[in-house]
Amino acid sequence: MAKRRILGMPRLLLVGILVLFVLLLIVGFLVGPLGRKIFGDLGLPAWLSLPQPELHLPAETVFHLFGFPIANSIIGAWITMAVLICLSYIITRRMRIIPGRLQSAFEFLLGWLYDLCRRVAGEENGRRFFPVVTTIFLFVAFNAWLSLIPGFGSIFITNAEGEHVHLLRGANTDINMPLALALVSFVFVEYFGLRSLGLRYLGKFLNVGQFFQSIGHMAKGRLRAGLGGMFTGFIHIFVGLLEALSEMVRVVSFTFRLFGNMTAGEILLLIVVFLIPWVVAPLFYGLEMLVGFVQALIFSGLTLVFLTLAVAHHGEESS
Amino acid sequence: MDPETMKMLAVGLTAGLGLLGPALGIGLIGYSALQGIARNPEASGPIMTNMILVTAFCEAIGIYALIVAIILALIV
Repeated sequence: MAKRRILGMPRLLLVGILVLFVLLLIVGFLVGPLGRKIFGDLGLPAWLSLPQPELHLPAETVFHLFGFPIANSIIGAWITMAVLICLSYIITRRMRIIPGRLQSAFEFLLGWLYDLCRRVAGEENGRRFFPVVTTIFLFVAFNAWLSLIPGFGSIFITNAEGEHVHLLRGANTDINMPLALALVSFVFVEYFGLRSLGLRYLGKFLNVGQFFQSIGHMAKGRLRAGLGGMFTGFIHIFVGLLEALSEMVRVVSFTFRLFGNMTAGEILLLIVVFLIPWVVAPLFYGLEMLVGFVQALIFSGLTLVFLTLAVAHHGEESS
Repeated sequence: MDPETMKMLAVGLTAGLGLLGPALGIGLIGYSALQGIARNPEASGPIMTNMILVTAFCEAIGIYALIVAIILALIV
């Protein structure tokens, strides 16, 4: 009789792994705070459970460099940058027409992003916006994913003030990094808008054309046209100011969307691992990986959309 | 009522009520997305992409409420 294999393993091994999993689940439940509440202290060894997680929102300083305090999220961002640069170098060092596995994985990712840029922004604009969008996407995504590697939250160090702080922290969870990226996106939107449309781009916000035109009407004696035009002129000015305000609010919204998602995810992981130690974490790891990818996509996709809107010629122009 | 109790009440209410709206919103987005897919199964690619995009917008609002709750709980 041929040996029966499920999922590539002999059936006995699969059953053994499942039993081990259920055992760890039960032990973890009993030893964590939930089990301790329900069943009381069962006398299980203390090394099986985790201490209560302390959550710090502002990133703690690890050391000082030329007078600047370097926080643990900056070290996380440096690690991401090092990983991205090393990956890019390794992949492009020996590029072949028929790519190997790593090269084809990145070709797939970059090709997909390039198609997205072209689909949203058109042929030539897509080419122009592709570097900004892809950089933001890769930076945010790798920041989010690298902070899930085991060991990222476990290394402690005593800093200059004598506090016992984490050495590494995901850069997305420090509010300064999403703010920086949002400002970069804002600056690029304005830059591309000004470069494509010239100073007429600012005419979107200071829409006084209709207003002055109506004053011209009034001066020439056409009173009714002048008054009606002045009324619409006021509305145009108001809408222009509202557009300018919404550009500013966009920065705040980008920042808090990314920061909130990443911090909430980190807190969720900490609490879940504290509540049921040992085996429940992989489920939430999957959720965190998905959230990291989706947030990166949202940030870069929204940047792309706003870039496209900024370089679009307006439909109606006052003659 | 002492400040500790009020703070706990505030945190709970902020998180609970604040996340009510986005939950409803995401449900409505899913409803319309599924209707669209049911009418035109070939367009399910673009529909899914747009659904995820709008869902992230909606979720951001809920995250704002969560941030306020976290700040209330940990910093204030």
